[in-house]
Amino acid sequence: MSDSEHMSQEAVLKAENDRYYAFVNLALILAAVTGIELVLVYLPFPTTIIFTVLISLSLFKFIGVVAWFMHLIYDKLILTMAFGTGMVIAFGTYTALLFLLGGDMVAPQEIPGR
Amino acid sequence: MSQTDSHDDGHHGLMVKNKKLLMWLFLGSDCMFFGTLISTHLIYRKLYPEEFNPTQLFSLELTSFSTFILLMSSFLMALSVSAMHKGEMKSFRRNVIGVIFFGLIFLGCQVYEFAHFIHEGLTLDTGTFGSTFYLMTGTHGVHVAVGVFWLISMLFYSQSGKMEAHKNAIDVEIAGLYWHFVDIVWIVIFTVVYLIEFIV
Repeated sequence: MSDSEHMSQEAVLKAENDRYYAFVNLALILAAVTGIELVLVYLPFPTTIIFTVLISLSLFKFIGVVAWFMHLIYDKLILTMAFGTGMVIAFGTYTALLFLLGGDMVAPQEIPGR
Repeated sequence: MSQTDSHDDGHHGLMVKNKKLLMWLFLGSDCMFFGTLISTHLIYRKLYPEEFNPTQLFSLELTSFSTFILLMSSFLMALSVSAMHKGEMKSFRRNVIGVIFFGLIFLGCQVYEFAHFIHEGLTLDTGTFGSTFYLMTGTHGVHVAVGVFWLISMLFYSQSGKMEAHKNAIDVEIAGLYWHFVDIVWIVIFTVVYLIEFIV
């Protein structure tokens, strides 16, 4: 093995060892957040607050997994863009459907299949 | 590096491996797929709120356990990919076995949940709630099952001795990306389909 290859392998090992601690910390945080989410549902706080906190925690977990476990923060921006495009279209679909069908005026009276 | 060299190396012109770029594009498209399924469920819940009350049926403890299991499987998957990059084949196998085990536990929980729901009268025919709920969570379950089969085949391949750390690290990485994606979809489903029902 040449010196440059040896150095490169050392750099990979160092980077992976550094990531190991990031992964352990993230796993612990994710587990704790899941526990908090479960408890939050039963707390006697206003619905709006609980709703906002739950969505925020879910977003936090989502970003944590995508950024660290899926290595997006360590990878090229093009990969974030490829995934982000899908995410934007998915969220756009929900928003569009909400505007098209969410209003009370367009809600059919009869339940389909009944 | 010339363009020819970069293609021989399995890289795109943007210095991203072709397999990895394709996987991310697939995951982006899968986002749209799940986005549609989740949106349909949420919109129908908004249109027909009185149709069905799932809070009597859902077990938050079981679903939280499933979520925890899937998150921990993602952690082990991240360690598997890391082990492969470091060339530690034994550690890779150990972690992949853990991921498979956790994946099977998740599937077991889902089968138990579905069986319980059907016993209680919630079937695919139970109006829009039953249709959209089973379609969405069932599709996610199929994704988990595909991931488990993928990892089992990878485990057997590594046992055969043909797997090499420097050559197959990218294959493990894209399997890992798929597995993490399954996890993030569940993170969304857990919150917007299960937890939100108990507060609105």
